[in-house]
Amino acid sequence: MTPDYAIKIDHLSKKYKGAVIPAVNELSLNISRGSIFGLLGPNGAGKTTLISMLCGLIKPSGGRLSILGLTPEKDLEKIKYKIGIVPQEIALYTTLTAYENLRFIGHMYGLKSDRLKNKISECMEIAGLQPFAFKLVQTFSGGMKRRLNLVAGILNDPEILFLDEPTVGVDVQSRNAITEHLKLLNKQGCTIVYTSHLMEEAQNLCTDIALIDNGVIIARGNPDEMINENETANLEQLFLKLTGKKLRD
Amino acid sequence: MLRLYATIQKELLILVRDKAGIAILFLMPMAMIIIMALIQDAPFRDYQELNIPLLLINNDKGDLGKTIEKGLTDSKIFRITKIQGDDSILKQSVSKGKYEIGILIPQYSSQLLNAKIKQFVAQKLKEAGLADPFSPQMLFKELQIHIVFAPTTKKSFRSSILGSLNQSATQLEIQTLLNDFSKTINKDQSAPTDSVPSMDFIKISEISTIETPKEALQLNSVQHNVPAWTIFGMFFIVLSLAGSIIKERQDGSYTRLRTMPGSYSTIITGKISAYLFVCLIQCGLMLLVGMYLLPHLGLPQLVIGHNLLLIAVIALCTGLAATGYGIVIGTLFNTQQQSSAFGSVSIVILAALGGIWVPVYVMPHIIRFIADFSPLYWALSAFQKVFLGQGTISDILPSLAKLIAFFLLSLVIVNYYNKLKNR
Repeated sequence: MTPDYAIKIDHLSKKYKGAVIPAVNELSLNISRGSIFGLLGPNGAGKTTLISMLCGLIKPSGGRLSILGLTPEKDLEKIKYKIGIVPQEIALYTTLTAYENLRFIGHMYGLKSDRLKNKISECMEIAGLQPFAFKLVQTFSGGMKRRLNLVAGILNDPEILFLDEPTVGVDVQSRNAITEHLKLLNKQGCTIVYTSHLMEEAQNLCTDIALIDNGVIIARGNPDEMINENETANLEQLFLKLTGKKLRD
Repeated sequence: MLRLYATIQKELLILVRDKAGIAILFLMPMAMIIIMALIQDAPFRDYQELNIPLLLINNDKGDLGKTIEKGLTDSKIFRITKIQGDDSILKQSVSKGKYEIGILIPQYSSQLLNAKIKQFVAQKLKEAGLADPFSPQMLFKELQIHIVFAPTTKKSFRSSILGSLNQSATQLEIQTLLNDFSKTINKDQSAPTDSVPSMDFIKISEISTIETPKEALQLNSVQHNVPAWTIFGMFFIVLSLAGSIIKERQDGSYTRLRTMPGSYSTIITGKISAYLFVCLIQCGLMLLVGMYLLPHLGLPQLVIGHNLLLIAVIALCTGLAATGYGIVIGTLFNTQQQSSAFGSVSIVILAALGGIWVPVYVMPHIIRFIADFSPLYWALSAFQKVFLGQGTISDILPSLAKLIAFFLLSLVIVNYYNKLKNR
């Protein structure tokens, strides 16, 4: 039976060695299958630590975690085939062509031959980069790199896609193309877990959000409902109301 | 296997497109081999090949002058210029720097030597009661051969030349003395002078360290510099490898790689394989430079012996040590600036200690002791044992074992550090 939740988090904690307070503190959260989930919070709130634990990059200090019914401690390799990640950085080899980058990533997922070629072609089309497939990535504009960075994360048809600020530093057209494609992916059944500081984008894109601060969830729900409940004009005002105006490092 | 192949393919593509990196990996060691081999050619050359300019003023017409002149010519050390003149010409010519050494054999030196010996023999026979006790005593002036060195001549070389001249003179003295004794005792003035046997009772002969003496080689500039700078170039791969690891970490590729299926060790193995392949290509090319390019520059040809498999094994172990070091630096340092600064400085230090710049045997005892901790020294001594001494696998096994142990230790450090970091 397919689990209802793509991600189940139960009292999850992470305290780094030497840290006084935990980065993630007894956090519990369920993310439904097929949702576009926005994980929002100020700098140092614990977003990256949480995503890193979900992707199996770091081990939790305590609590339980389930990804598509699998636990990272036992089934990390299986989980890796089912998730995709789009880091905030342009995680591409700039002296390789777009095609060579995707071929390498495809090989790492065990894709080869015609299946890989077709998948690369499909991704290039999604990113609008087909004419540039054999150009070196270092010759691309910021928007082109971002789009390629995104499709590199979906080459394996992930069931869950983790995105860390996928539209940072790109023009309006590229941002629109990326968000539209994320919606399309979601319609095809992909659960999207998304972090951003762009509140307007999160408000438009996400079906479900959680505000995280000091390693705990401080608000959770549908963005429009949360805005109404808190009597704020938009998500940005709600964010400031709940996390305060004090500068974060 | 597909992941390993993909990683090797990716790394090689990145390396090939990094023009500056390729220049460092291939052109730098090639340039160093050529420059250092040319610079160090003279100091490395045996004295026999040096052609040291020598001014000889032989004013003596007898045996002494001829013997010394023959000795100097036969030694093949010198390019001899003969003139007639005196002390002042000798000093002037050498002090102008035209000649490294000047030798003056005064007029009538042979006659003087003979007269001194005759007198010595007569004196000794008189003491033994075998000669006329009233034979006259003559006084002779001292016999002196003058030698002048240029101020720049090394002390050890001066001693060596003086020693050789003294030896020639002593030999001639003894020979003449024995001839004279023989003639006097036999009372046969017409006896041939060569009736006295030559005085070489003890012969010192050089034997080779290898079985086929005709293939015996001496360490010359090429035999030293080609393997030395090849190893140096191979270790410079540390910069590219460490830079690649740090760049992947900084641009998020490392994060993406870790979320992909397969273990990180596959990725590291792929990196090592790609860079190891480059190391082997580097080594092959540099040896070819030594064998085919350097002779065109007036240098001796590199002799690598016949055991190509053994050379490949040494190159492989050296490459492993170099890549292991690169992975450690790439893992421990946070930025490319840090890694390239530390990497290059540490390699230069290890190279200096390891005898890359100048052979270890000319270094002080303490440095020779420290050299044994440099992976570059292990590699160099293995190469030289095979090139110069035609060493076998058992001869170079200790060096190879150290190189492999260094590589394995590097992997252990990296693994431990990564575990500690991701805890």
